[in-house]
Amino acid sequence: MKRALRICASVVALAAATAAMPVAAMADWLEDAAKPLKGTEVNGIFLDRPGYRAIIKLLPEFEKKTGIKVNYEIVPYENAREKEVLNFTSRGDLTMALVDLVWIGEFAENGWLVPVDDLAKDKAITDPNLNLKGFFPLLLDAFGSWGGTVYGLPFDNYSGLLFYNSCKLKEAGFDKPPATWAELKDVYAPKLTDASKNQYAYALQSRRGETQSADSFMRFLWPFGGSLLNKEFKSNLLSKESQAGLNFRQDLLKYMPPGVVSFDHAEAVNALAQGQVAMITEWSAFYSTLTDPATSKLGDCLAVAPEPAGPAGRLPALGGFSLAVAAQATPEQQKATWLFIQWATSEAIAKAYVEAGGVSGRMAVYEDPAIKAQYKFVAPMVASWQAGVPEYRPRFPAWPAISEVVAEWGSKIELGEVSVEAGSKEIGTRMEAILQKDGYYDGKKKLLQ
Amino acid sequence: MSATQTKPNRGYGRWTPLWFLAPAVVTLFAIGIYPTLFALVTSFRRYNIARPREGFPFVGLENYVAVLTDSTFWASLGLTAQFYLTALPIQVVLGLIVALLLHKPGMGLLKSLARVTLVVPLATTYAVVGLIGRLIFNRDFGVANQFLSFAGFGPVDWLSTPNGAFAAIVIMDVWQWTPFCALIFLAGLSMVPGEIEEAARLETSSKLALLRHVQLPYLLPGLTAVMILRSADVLKLFDMVFVMTRGGPGSATDLISIYIQRVGFRIFDLGTASAQAILLLILTIIISRLYIRVLYREAH
Repeated sequence: MKRALRICASVVALAAATAAMPVAAMADWLEDAAKPLKGTEVNGIFLDRPGYRAIIKLLPEFEKKTGIKVNYEIVPYENAREKEVLNFTSRGDLTMALVDLVWIGEFAENGWLVPVDDLAKDKAITDPNLNLKGFFPLLLDAFGSWGGTVYGLPFDNYSGLLFYNSCKLKEAGFDKPPATWAELKDVYAPKLTDASKNQYAYALQSRRGETQSADSFMRFLWPFGGSLLNKEFKSNLLSKESQAGLNFRQDLLKYMPPGVVSFDHAEAVNALAQGQVAMITEWSAFYSTLTDPATSKLGDCLAVAPEPAGPAGRLPALGGFSLAVAAQATPEQQKATWLFIQWATSEAIAKAYVEAGGVSGRMAVYEDPAIKAQYKFVAPMVASWQAGVPEYRPRFPAWPAISEVVAEWGSKIELGEVSVEAGSKEIGTRMEAILQKDGYYDGKKKLLQ
Repeated sequence: MSATQTKPNRGYGRWTPLWFLAPAVVTLFAIGIYPTLFALVTSFRRYNIARPREGFPFVGLENYVAVLTDSTFWASLGLTAQFYLTALPIQVVLGLIVALLLHKPGMGLLKSLARVTLVVPLATTYAVVGLIGRLIFNRDFGVANQFLSFAGFGPVDWLSTPNGAFAAIVIMDVWQWTPFCALIFLAGLSMVPGEIEEAARLETSSKLALLRHVQLPYLLPGLTAVMILRSADVLKLFDMVFVMTRGGPGSATDLISIYIQRVGFRIFDLGTASAQAILLLILTIIISRLYIRVLYREAH
């Protein structure tokens, strides 16, 4: 009996030691690498979102180990690009770039980011377990790479997911979520909508701005086989598939709450959380808001599934941010920033990051049975990241200007101020004028998106 | 006879006034004149700071031509004029009513209290006014629809319909700026000599006649100031509208300042944005001159 107990104890001890190994190993190399950089400051921009709050919680551990101070300013998403562009053009104090997937082209082409290869050459400051292949390939490709070069490591990662109220679906006679958009509209929506009781099947965040262009308009192009641009970078919005997707969005409106055109993320999430709607398609990052009893009435009724598929398959919304080293930083600061980025996106802290409310881009952490069991969004999110379109929104420098056009005319289409066809034509004309001005049609620029 | 003239000792040297004026002039130059000159120069350049590799070459009048042929610019300007012509008359009428009520004799303490509360909307930050507006006009839990329901009306989609959103931003602007008009008019009314007003009251019992023939001439300079200040203010009204609607839905509240901000700080085309701003500056100067010429002549 004693022997059996001893064996059990040894196995447990060995398992514990093995589990702690990556953390311990990381601690060793990190401490060694940071020795010459003690006192160096890293400056970056964070958003007021769960992924950033998670890393802020873990930050003292990094600062204690390395002696590197991480300064961050929390800004609203709408101002983040403006802040960074102004800082980089005036050679300001940012040493780290927070790169939304649609900013990567602009930041990389302007030479504001240091390629990862250049940093990883210096073995003294590079994690022996950096393992770029450990990131979901779609995320590393979409969030961190431009023109075949990796600049940033995926940090705050989102996939569009279908969040739904399983209790409402059950009451309506459904024991599983809709698998396709057609099923959602034709089978589920009529049974889940009762305008007289202010109950609706679905809410689509469509407020003018990036919410309209990225979360509303683009969401109905790809799954229906459409796209913004064709191979020659001309508008593809008048194609049969794109028109089908945009017309579908119009048809779905009758199952959405009135005023959805002014809904931002907060309003859509709140509509589900407070029981006004049965389903929303939102970023995975909102899971923690929907599970928090202080902000959500859903409790155990909350369920998560991948976004419904369209005729072209399941091509859900893709979004997220990478962290990259800013080229304007001094060599010392670049090294310190590189250490921080590797640590923040490492496999070693991935579990702690997820437990603190973040969504890691590392594949390994989602194989952990405890994580799978605790977080309902993990399985559908991992499924969504197996396939997807990196250029879900074009990532070239022209996107901010095009996004404004899509936001304006996409809202007008949704409001019925213009027809789907007329609005698409207007967006196409204006978008091509922007691309023409940027030199995409006269061979000055590669057709990269 | 010697005619030696000695300058009187004024107690300060020749350059003393210069030193007193210098701080004000330098400050004005740094925060007013230099940025305007910089914007003027920038308006003749291709100046996109998100494309530094393309440089910032002079392009002559290219930006001005682009602005003047841009249908969105004219649509935004038209919408801004519509906003001004809707909001200002309401503010002037309500402000005048409030001022006349406060000008009535009696109830000193209440009037003092009312005067103080008039400052509250004026002191509120525009962005906060926008946030309050989002709450007031929320379809499901906003107080605007709550009041309408008391009167038996169904909920209105304020912020998600073009007319509703436009009305909502007008209402918030009226809320914030009516007190300003009231205070200006109150100051004007206090300038009317007491004996003239007394005599007029003996001559006529018509309050309208009293207003038209006795009080109005004293209100016109204030009205001119209100119109000039509000014109300039509406042309740069940004925070409140951006927070409430971001210029939407569609382009229903896409005022000119929202459009210029988008060109300047989303697209970072500062050349075009500067050309737009310079054109607006010229427009403001022309409007102000018109007000002064028409209303001041009336006042005199």
